[in-house]
Amino acid sequence: MAFTMNEDEIFETVRRNVLKVLPELTPDEVTIDGTLSDLGANSIDRADVVTMTMEDLGMVIPVAEFQDVSDIRSLVDLLKKHS
Amino acid sequence: MRVVVTGMGVLCSVAPDVPSFTDALREGRCGIVPMPDPGDGGPRLAAPVRDFCFSEAASAFEAGRVALRVAHRSPEPLQMDLVTAMQAFEDAGLHRSAPPADRLGLVVSGHNLSSGYVHDLHPKYEDNPAHLPARFALHFMDTDRVGTVSQVLGIKGEGYTVGGASASGNVGLVNGSRLVESGAVDACLVVGAMTDMSPMEKRGLATIGAVAGADTEDPEQAGCRPFDEHHEGFVAGQGAACVVLENEESARSRGARILAELAGYDLKLSGTSMPEPDEDGEARVMANAMTMAGIGPDDIDYVNAHATATPRGDEIEVLALRRALGQAFGKPWVNSTKGLVGHCMCAAGVVEAVATIIQMRHDFVHPNLNLNRPINYDCRFVPDTAQPARIGHALSNSFGFGGFNTSVVLRRADG
Repeated sequence: MAFTMNEDEIFETVRRNVLKVLPELTPDEVTIDGTLSDLGANSIDRADVVTMTMEDLGMVIPVAEFQDVSDIRSLVDLLKKHS
Repeated sequence: MRVVVTGMGVLCSVAPDVPSFTDALREGRCGIVPMPDPGDGGPRLAAPVRDFCFSEAASAFEAGRVALRVAHRSPEPLQMDLVTAMQAFEDAGLHRSAPPADRLGLVVSGHNLSSGYVHDLHPKYEDNPAHLPARFALHFMDTDRVGTVSQVLGIKGEGYTVGGASASGNVGLVNGSRLVESGAVDACLVVGAMTDMSPMEKRGLATIGAVAGADTEDPEQAGCRPFDEHHEGFVAGQGAACVVLENEESARSRGARILAELAGYDLKLSGTSMPEPDEDGEARVMANAMTMAGIGPDDIDYVNAHATATPRGDEIEVLALRRALGQAFGKPWVNSTKGLVGHCMCAAGVVEAVATIIQMRHDFVHPNLNLNRPINYDCRFVPDTAQPARIGHALSNSFGFGGFNTSVVLRRADG
């Protein structure tokens, strides 16, 4: 179950940073199936969530790899791939 | 066409808004305090803003909700600029009735505004450049102040930053006035931006002997002493301010309260890269500003001096005042707001324009602090308590490293 645990951990880190960037949201509003744009994040907010999460998780992912990220699930998947 | 001031905002070490700044000036409250030793031989005195809470400050304004959404993670100096802009905007009644968005301008006075922010992020960059926050790309630029203030207040006319070292505030007033005079905008916010210096920059200014109380065990002894024989340099102050400059017709058609008129100004370079003050340049801009306002030296009742408390700067300004005022030298009251709030760097000119208009509207001149042995006995320095004064016209001077000489004339609204 380490795989799921880790994914949850990554998602929780993403969620925590989304809430820092968009403090008007409640934690329940940030779901794995949602998109950052739908939550009201602009392009810099989205990039901020990425840099903050990479820092928290101690990882570095080339900027180009985020091009295919379209929602929170694909963001978590990409982060997972590098974990 | 006349350019009038219809709104003001200020935030500095002695006051979070215009009403409390009025009290602070009258009482001669001083925001300068000893600071922890930076350990690099840099300044040991400063006039910091205390207890600033952006969400609390923003909540007082109609645009507060938008401000919070846009700027809640912006560097604090930008948030302070934004608060003063909202103060001035509402003071001018622009939240109730305003010219069309594209007839509103915005000039932000200042440059190198965010070096402290950049400095603070440097360890993160050294540790791993990929972890720099994405918003760094926005916030390191001075123009972030323009973008953010314009977004929050819905300003869509002409806008930009302007710079002139310590004279930046007045450079902004000159440019804002020109935007209104030219008809490019009906009203223009001029923001004197909070200058967030890095420790390296502060140390650099100490190296050339410009600051008081650097590398000393007893910084309070040094103090900030404009026009006093024992002056030894400036003390940096945190401050931001904003004025709304407006075409008089626009102001009257909106029924806006007119606080003062920006009646004249001049800006001349000395043609130098050096920090030395220039008596000829300073005298010339004061004279030209009076000419533009259609007044003579006898009409000046008050001078808000640049007076940073550097020996050379104070001395040259008094000589320049004598030249510009001629026989009238000794008639107008002269004081230095920097003795109370420190040198607000790029914001200073706007902070001091606000201080000047406050004194004009409330019929007093604020004290000079630490002025025990004046460098000149003919100049009418305000003593250590506020004095009643009816100010019809005032000069407000700002001079900057690199040969920036500026002076503005403010005229009483009812006279």
